[in-house]
Amino acid sequence: MIEFQNVMKRYQDGYEALQDVSFSMDRGEMAFLTGHSGAGKSTLLKLIMLMERTTKGHVIVGDQNLSKIHKRQIPYFRRHVGVVFQNHRLLYDRSVFDNVALPLEISGVNPREIGRRVRAALDKVGLLSKEKLSPIQLSGGEQQRVGIARAVVNKPPLLLADEPTGNLDPELSEEIMSLFSQFNQVGVTVLIASHDLALISHMAHRVIEINDGRMVNHA
Amino acid sequence: MHKPNDTTKKVNTTGAKTNEKPNALSSYFSHHQKTYKATFKQLLEQPLASFFTCAVIGIAFVLPALLAILLNNIQSVQHNWDGSAQITLFLKKGVPAIDGKLLSETIAKKPSITSSHFVDNDTALEEFKERFELQDAVDYLDENPLPHVILVQPDKSLKSIEHIDQIKNSLLKFPEVDGALLDVMWVQRLNSITELLQRATWVIALMLGAAVILILGNTIRLFIENRKEEIAVVKLVGGTNAFVRRPFLYMGVFFGLGGSVIAWILINLTLFMLNGPIQDLAHSYQSNFNLSGFSFESTLLLIILGMGLGWFGAWLSVRKHLDDIEPT
Repeated sequence: MIEFQNVMKRYQDGYEALQDVSFSMDRGEMAFLTGHSGAGKSTLLKLIMLMERTTKGHVIVGDQNLSKIHKRQIPYFRRHVGVVFQNHRLLYDRSVFDNVALPLEISGVNPREIGRRVRAALDKVGLLSKEKLSPIQLSGGEQQRVGIARAVVNKPPLLLADEPTGNLDPELSEEIMSLFSQFNQVGVTVLIASHDLALISHMAHRVIEINDGRMVNHA
Repeated sequence: MHKPNDTTKKVNTTGAKTNEKPNALSSYFSHHQKTYKATFKQLLEQPLASFFTCAVIGIAFVLPALLAILLNNIQSVQHNWDGSAQITLFLKKGVPAIDGKLLSETIAKKPSITSSHFVDNDTALEEFKERFELQDAVDYLDENPLPHVILVQPDKSLKSIEHIDQIKNSLLKFPEVDGALLDVMWVQRLNSITELLQRATWVIALMLGAAVILILGNTIRLFIENRKEEIAVVKLVGGTNAFVRRPFLYMGVFFGLGGSVIAWILINLTLFMLNGPIQDLAHSYQSNFNLSGFSFESTLLLIILGMGLGWFGAWLSVRKHLDDIEPT
């Protein structure tokens, strides 16, 4: 599902976030991406999202070599990748429902179908009763669940998360992680960047570790 | 933590992307509808700021529009004027009326002359007396001081002054003709003034059009600035540039429309205020000239132009600034 081939990423200021990273993930696999902050976890996820481009090497997602995706095609590619952010990145000027509906509206799903799917996604994360609220009225954990609902509402085959539990207490974190596991169980490939090693060790999933932009312990 | 239920399982098991092709068009329109409603609502949330932007655009439209109306009216005066200058031929003293009449008929047969009308000096004097109420003064004269006159109307298709001047010179060659008068200076001046105004209108329209685009561009830039996070998120979840652009383009169109409406009101107010004095002025020239106002077509043009400029200004701004906002 994801394949990194000798990927190097150097930013314009000369900083090398990733040096020669290679790994691959199978379809339907779930893995944690760990490493201290600044190790290159976020950069790695950004490369998969095409928020950044590799300096050297190739990233292949699905069957697509991302270096060959034209700028104009990036939006269509992103519709097949769900992303969850540490700070949720919800839009506070609209309701929970509208936040989750956004990817569907963008994909041009018809309004009746949007209603059905948004409610299904909200139900999945346990927030069906809060669809009319503004995200600001929700707790941090609930906001993160809205973020997850938004990431999966399009039914993407690949789900990425960047420190999704970074701001949550351990109990809520575990809830969020088990939610990701559930998506994985129905066939979604899940890659979660996290430095919460205690939490990760609880869960029997593969761990990909990077340190100073290099792969460590490639299991 | 909720347990997954049946509905959600259905949603997530597919795992693949869905295609909604049959509904793509209807959802496209429904999104447009949603976007312009939301955009309109957004503008109404800041009524004063939105009004000011529209007013600036409206005022910028007024000046060229008024100039165009003025021009239009001048041109209608030119059209009403029968299109050719009249040449007045004064015959030499002592030329008998009958000869003058014959000469008039000869001239009328010449090419490039529409008609020719002989006025004998007695008739001319009568007219003079009546017109200027100088009955008594004229009665003191021993003899009629006026010459016979032939009024020559050159062909209406002859617009150029040089051409008419040539005809005048050829008429001067008749031995009976003493002098000729071609009152074309005012026609020439009017033509020059019209052309000057025409160019000025274009220049002013172009400059103010550019100003409108700049104003709109800047206003839209502020809106883009305020919605940076939203734009980044939309791009992250797969929004195309067209999708991101849409609300801002609608915004430009709404501003343009608002500007056009304000311009329309201002223009009609101005015309209403000018109409009285113009009527008076026209009356003093024994003319019942009417200021022709803003026709339905012009209104339509104003609105389409306004919306078009609004769209274009927004498009330029969005093009320039949206690319800078990449999700990070």
